[in-house]
Amino acid sequence: MQKNILPRRQFLQGCSAAIAEMVGARLTNLAFAKQDNPYDTLVVVFLRGGWDALNVVTPISGDDRGIYEKARPDIKINNLLPLNDQFGLHPALSPLYDLYQQGKAGVVHAVGLDVDTRSHFDAQEYIELGTPGNKSVASGWITRHLQATGVSSILPTISTSGLPTSLLNFVPTVSLSSPEEFSLWDNGLGESHMTALRQLYKGDSIVHRAGARTLDALDIVSPLSGNGYQPSNGATYNDDEFGLQLKTVAQMIKLDAGLRVATVDFGGWDTHEYQNDGNGGYMGDLLNSLASGLANFYLDLDSGYTEKLSVVVVSEFGRRLVQNDSYGTDHGHGNVMFTLGGNVNGGQVYGNWPGLGNEQLYDHADLAVTTDYRQILSELLSKRLGNNDVESVFPGFSGSYNPLGMFR
Amino acid sequence: MQTKKLTRRDFLKISGAVAAASALAACAPEQQSTSVAPVQINPQESVVTPQAQISTNPVSLPILTLSRLTFGIRPGDLDLFNALGATDDERLVNFVTQQLNPDSIDDSEFESRYNAAGFETLHKTHEQLYYDHIANNQYDSNDDAYWQWYSKPAYELVDATILRATYSKKQIVEILADFWHNHFNVYFWQDDGIPLLVSYNRDVLRKHALGNFRQMLEAVATHPSMLYYLNQNNSNDAGPNENFARELFELHTLGAENYLGVQDPNNVPKDANGIAIGYVDNDVYESARALTGWRVDDDIYEYENEIGKTGNFIYYKPWHDRFNKLVLGKYIPSDQEDMKDGRDVLDLLAYHEGTARHIARKLCKRFIGDLPPDSVVQAAANTFIEFRSAPDQLKRVVETILLSAEFKQSWGTKFKRPFEAVISMMRALNSEFTRIPDGSMWMLGLMGQALFERRSPDGYPDVKEAWANSMSMLYRWNFAVSLAENWFEDEGRKITTDIYNQTPAEIRSATGLADFWINRILNQTLSDENRNAIIQVMAQEYGWDETLPEDHVQYVLPAMVEVILMSPEFQLK
Repeated sequence: MQKNILPRRQFLQGCSAAIAEMVGARLTNLAFAKQDNPYDTLVVVFLRGGWDALNVVTPISGDDRGIYEKARPDIKINNLLPLNDQFGLHPALSPLYDLYQQGKAGVVHAVGLDVDTRSHFDAQEYIELGTPGNKSVASGWITRHLQATGVSSILPTISTSGLPTSLLNFVPTVSLSSPEEFSLWDNGLGESHMTALRQLYKGDSIVHRAGARTLDALDIVSPLSGNGYQPSNGATYNDDEFGLQLKTVAQMIKLDAGLRVATVDFGGWDTHEYQNDGNGGYMGDLLNSLASGLANFYLDLDSGYTEKLSVVVVSEFGRRLVQNDSYGTDHGHGNVMFTLGGNVNGGQVYGNWPGLGNEQLYDHADLAVTTDYRQILSELLSKRLGNNDVESVFPGFSGSYNPLGMFR
Repeated sequence: MQTKKLTRRDFLKISGAVAAASALAACAPEQQSTSVAPVQINPQESVVTPQAQISTNPVSLPILTLSRLTFGIRPGDLDLFNALGATDDERLVNFVTQQLNPDSIDDSEFESRYNAAGFETLHKTHEQLYYDHIANNQYDSNDDAYWQWYSKPAYELVDATILRATYSKKQIVEILADFWHNHFNVYFWQDDGIPLLVSYNRDVLRKHALGNFRQMLEAVATHPSMLYYLNQNNSNDAGPNENFARELFELHTLGAENYLGVQDPNNVPKDANGIAIGYVDNDVYESARALTGWRVDDDIYEYENEIGKTGNFIYYKPWHDRFNKLVLGKYIPSDQEDMKDGRDVLDLLAYHEGTARHIARKLCKRFIGDLPPDSVVQAAANTFIEFRSAPDQLKRVVETILLSAEFKQSWGTKFKRPFEAVISMMRALNSEFTRIPDGSMWMLGLMGQALFERRSPDGYPDVKEAWANSMSMLYRWNFAVSLAENWFEDEGRKITTDIYNQTPAEIRSATGLADFWINRILNQTLSDENRNAIIQVMAQEYGWDETLPEDHVQYVLPAMVEVILMSPEFQLK
């Protein structure tokens, strides 16, 4: 189903032309010192809706393959790309498979939350707050990390789709989907508008701070608009929402303005019905978009940036082992995470596989969780993000911290 | 805290905690304020919610009322309000009474606009919508015309909703229509049944917005828009699809705060009537079974010769799970009469105290503040319970909230969401349009609130943290610019805003023009620094009190007005 977006595009073009005429020379030569980033730039890709982990990283051998095929007669995946002798990757993820084989991408299985919930909203909150089972905290896990390590850069965090809970109460976050879309329109009096807005948005309330941050972001981002960004190494981003978000993140990283964290949302994974047709169909398209986006992002940044890049791909939960009667899957528990970056010990499947036997399943229904998702994030914090104080980010977890060795 | 006088440091502490609690509340609307607020304010001293402190500039009761209970103050609204009684309290009561009895309101000005808008599909019945736009689309499915005809009713609904919010005098109805659409959210671009959004909005949400919750709940649960959106349409006894049942508990009725997780239902405490005080996963599964067979009479293959393909709701008995169920501790026997299993579930949920508090708190969040005082939430919940069988139950609940002491003391607690910000700009400037240009709706999408396009079933959040991000702020500002500069025009549709001719000809100094438009748009005074910043925009290279040349006024006046619309004061209510 295609939306009728033509009039909107025309409107945008019309406005852009009008603005180009009117806007004058404002902010075209903003200079700022390049900043060395002593830490990796962390990119968190959140797959909203609970992706079907068992069709992403799938058993290819032994009893579990038999159980899997029996549980999912109509939606099982074949022709998997072998990760090791036990698991295969969904064929739509082949761009990511190349990075796995090069040791740049790693997989964790049976990972997730250690609390009982099959609610999207609870599970997302728990993961992003970093306090499973407790929603009465005032900040997201990334907020606490940045508070603990301190922030001095011009552009510490961006979010390409609204403000995620992981950055709750971190006001310096700039939310933008693309540099082209991020400019203040005016009728020739833009300088005067900026001056007035600077005054009007002096204040401590959340609204004042959001306005002031928007003005800061305009100073940084406006010069990038309309320059026709050329990705490096021939990377070609898909013209879909996910590809465009990652392209924006790449541009912001290459600004060398000290970007610490970028959050990217990718929705649509709540596959209660007709999730695939053979290996393709709805979920195959989503996976293809995901893998293509990540592979091109990595290629683009493989121009001096990947040694300081760590990407994690996370979703709120996996889905039920047994397919439902609508050729889909209902909310489950244990899940899969991916990591990607120049210092990932990739090419391996991490985690303890609990098995798919009835007694091995969580609640006799779902893949169990044997690795707390905070293990991966804690290792990332201490090895790549310069933060050894795991306890400050994940209160109550440091005693359980036991790194898997995913990062160098 | 011993006194209600707060130091600046206390204030920062409170606003941090409140911000966190409110943001959480976006996903779990029933976070108890008492569990997170670090500072106790003695209720006898003040019923002001902590976040009211965000505004340094309280306004009069008429301005508060009109700002909160309309989509923004239009010129003339204040005069009409002041004519409603001798005191502000009396006027408030009369205004609320009038608004909650919308049939008593003369809305002929809006009606003539609506008639002039030339809507072609909005008058159609549900069956006509299904027949004309789904079952018998006159165009070839390979042609664009097919999709245009298919999506036309929903697009017309968007246009009509914007038109109503901007011009209808029945403003509380419009606010509640928006509230209930988000509460019982369905997504514009869902896979099936897009044209039926029109009947969902009209025959379900608007019809019951001031009515009875139990009736609205069943109307929702039997409308194809919801049946398609949450996969209820494919749920059968062989494989119940739990999507609708789960959101029915978590979002529509009890709320996540009453979810007790994955545990044995026998361990859940019961109330005096033997009903579980909260729900567990098992209740969701059992309810999904109870609701099997609730589906759309459409052309699905299994039984296409058996039914009529009317697009109406149908109870399809061959798909119903006839065996006994256990929901919230109540035993539902096997082989009950048609639909009784599902209706038992709806009864249990609609009449549950947890549901009363969940709905009451959400309505209080809409009308009073992101973190409303528990006192008013409980009062509204009590009304909800007391009148649970009354045909005007929800009207009474809203009335309880609007006539509460807490309402009167809540200025500045709400940050206008993009939809409200956009409409309030057009109302403040007396903008004229008949059909909203597509470009303005595209901008609403960039602000994060494209109408009816919330993909997830929780609806758009209603707390300021969700909207205080830079992309949303920027396009709010860009909308103000586009509106004041008359840039909205495409495909023959146009918004016209004549700022120049709404300005008295005798006012020609920068100071005078700034003061006139600050008062006109904000209905309050600004700090000297902020007022000066706006005067400077108007003056540019001229002196603040000298008479400005007419061509300067024509060129700069819209620019100054847009800055007022961009101010933080305009975003709060």
